[in-house]
Amino acid sequence: MTKSKFTRRGLMRTAGTLALASAFPMPFVRTASAATEIIHWSPLAASDGEIWAQMIQNFNDAHKDKGVSIKMEVVNWDDYTTKVLAAAAAGAAPDFGWNTDPRPAFVRDGLLVPLNELVKNSGLDIADFSEFSISKSKFPNYGGDELFQVPLDLMSLVPEVNTAHVSEAGLKIDEWPDDGATLIDWAKAMTKLEGDKVVRSGIMMTGAGVQPTVTWGIVAEQMGFQRISPDFKQVAVNPDAGKAAMQWVLDLFDKHKVSTRDVTDRYKAFGTGQGSIFWTGPWTLNGYLEQKLPFVSKPFPKIGEKRVTYFERGALELYTQKDPSRHQATMDAVKWLSDNSFLWCTKGRGASPRKSIIDRPDYKTAGAPWDVRGAFVEGIEYATAIADFPIINGADFNIYSGGNFLAKTLELVWAGQSSIDDAMTKLQEGWQKALEEG
Amino acid sequence: MAASILERRDLKAPTDWVAYAFIALFTVPFLIFNVAPILFTAYLSFMRWGIFGPPRYVGTANFRDAIENDHVRIAFGNILLYGLTIVPGVLVLGLLAALYVHNRWPLSSFARVCFFSPYVVSATVIGLVWVWLLDTRFGLINHYLAYLGFDYIPWLTSTTWALYGVSIASIWWDMGLAFVLILAALQDIPGDLYDAVEVDGATRWQRFWYVTLPMLRPVLSMVLTLQLISTLRIFSQVYVMTSGGPASASTSVLYEIYTVAIRNQKFGLAAAVSIMLFAVILVVTLLSRRLLREQQT
Repeated sequence: MTKSKFTRRGLMRTAGTLALASAFPMPFVRTASAATEIIHWSPLAASDGEIWAQMIQNFNDAHKDKGVSIKMEVVNWDDYTTKVLAAAAAGAAPDFGWNTDPRPAFVRDGLLVPLNELVKNSGLDIADFSEFSISKSKFPNYGGDELFQVPLDLMSLVPEVNTAHVSEAGLKIDEWPDDGATLIDWAKAMTKLEGDKVVRSGIMMTGAGVQPTVTWGIVAEQMGFQRISPDFKQVAVNPDAGKAAMQWVLDLFDKHKVSTRDVTDRYKAFGTGQGSIFWTGPWTLNGYLEQKLPFVSKPFPKIGEKRVTYFERGALELYTQKDPSRHQATMDAVKWLSDNSFLWCTKGRGASPRKSIIDRPDYKTAGAPWDVRGAFVEGIEYATAIADFPIINGADFNIYSGGNFLAKTLELVWAGQSSIDDAMTKLQEGWQKALEEG
Repeated sequence: MAASILERRDLKAPTDWVAYAFIALFTVPFLIFNVAPILFTAYLSFMRWGIFGPPRYVGTANFRDAIENDHVRIAFGNILLYGLTIVPGVLVLGLLAALYVHNRWPLSSFARVCFFSPYVVSATVIGLVWVWLLDTRFGLINHYLAYLGFDYIPWLTSTTWALYGVSIASIWWDMGLAFVLILAALQDIPGDLYDAVEVDGATRWQRFWYVTLPMLRPVLSMVLTLQLISTLRIFSQVYVMTSGGPASASTSVLYEIYTVAIRNQKFGLAAAVSIMLFAVILVVTLLSRRLLREQQT
């Protein structure tokens, strides 16, 4: 019998082998022979996130014995695009994601899966979708007539109004203002001041970030400004209207004194009664309903020449996989989620892009009460101020952003560190440069 | 004897792979996670790249864009202001805290824990706590300042105050390390020196000025350098407390790099700004070391 020798060299060899084994784990095998696990990334983390998680759970419950399941991972909204890009570059992109942006660069680079054939195989009825929602999911410059996203919800930005504040100010909610001047009168009536300081905002704003940017975007389009011309050849069309809208936002703080720059978290501030009118999206509804905030939603007033509000479309998109056989399984799951999106479009977010869902008799009675949800659904009719455009640098034009080129240019105006004229000149120059990339 | 040594040298010693393995444990991660990203950043600063697809050479365009970018310019100005606010704050308060504990003034054991504990909490938690403390309407700081007759200060929402709001939180957080280092140095000062100056009739102030402070100079120099580098790289507090706003009033270079790279996928521009920040840190550190060395000599 030989005695085994315990040497330093032997120990190091074993330790080295173990270290290497732990440093390089087994590659993640995504295609299981028996069960398919579809990886889904979602940035939804507000109160709508709970409903989306329920949708995924519903799918998994319905497919318990069918060998397919969805594994959802919540990814921070700010990092979402970068993480998808990084994962795709590493060959480990999720199977599908929920997203609101148009993705021409993704289409150009082959990151998004063209869906026409997959949709046909899955049996998803594209004719059931509104034409508008489908047109926003195609990118003719880069992907011809292919569909690249499956619209799931349509969303408008409309005012939520604290009804307790309305009563307190002696106003009647049924007489909700329809024009800009009356809106300011209402805001003044509900604003609370201590000296000359606003301690409760008639119109909920923040000193920088998304809220003043999107407000400017909506009001500017109402006044006739266009970030980009319909033929995508000119930027900042009718700059005077854009400047007037900047002044309108500034006046909320400095002239009318119905808003304060001191608010940092607008959602929390409205929820705790620090604001009376707050234009926002339907993702806030669940949270405010749960905390029993007395509020209703109302149409966006016509401040300029025409009534316009912000539009956003939630969609599901498939990311290219090394193993293309996963695409059809993923598309089938997306079809199921779309076909069963009644819960999502009545309780989670926005209006439905599907005629069959809108036509259901319980569409207006299910989910969140109509007086808080209705204006968001009806707002789709005039929600034409889209977030960003289907061009490579579309994100620079996005009016719903707190950190893009537009928001950063405008925040100097809100803080009084840049003149309105200078800001408009910078927007024109920056957008022109952005447009040149295609 | 000499011949045998020579003979031994001539023998070809077997390669000691174990030694290499030990060195590799440090070297390989260092090369992968430190050296390679630095080289890649330098490479990217001349490219246009959005993660997917090959980078495209653009010469010095990224550096030009960085210099022309208002927010990047403001960020570089801000980190210098942060440096002028946070570094002296940490040094002075760290020194005072260390003297308090070293001299065993009342409740010094409890104070030792209080002074150091913020440092072991993550910057994110510190930021979130201070967002509440510095809230304009409901914050405790403004609440107590009101008792003293001060008006509400918009610590995090005004372009005038935001940088100082973030600085206060940073000083409170960073002071712990300075406190521990200075306290350790205080405890190393030989008691004989104090005995000698006491015999000479030195007052308490003179003891501090002529003995304590000169003996602390090496550690103060180290704390200054470390704090300077840390402040120039300030990020977490800015991210959590103000997102760099309002109007970039509290932004930092690292926050701008994060925004440009992670939010806007402009990695070439972000790399160029990183290289510029590296150069600034290098120059400032060399200058501070040189000045302090001159003072010491």
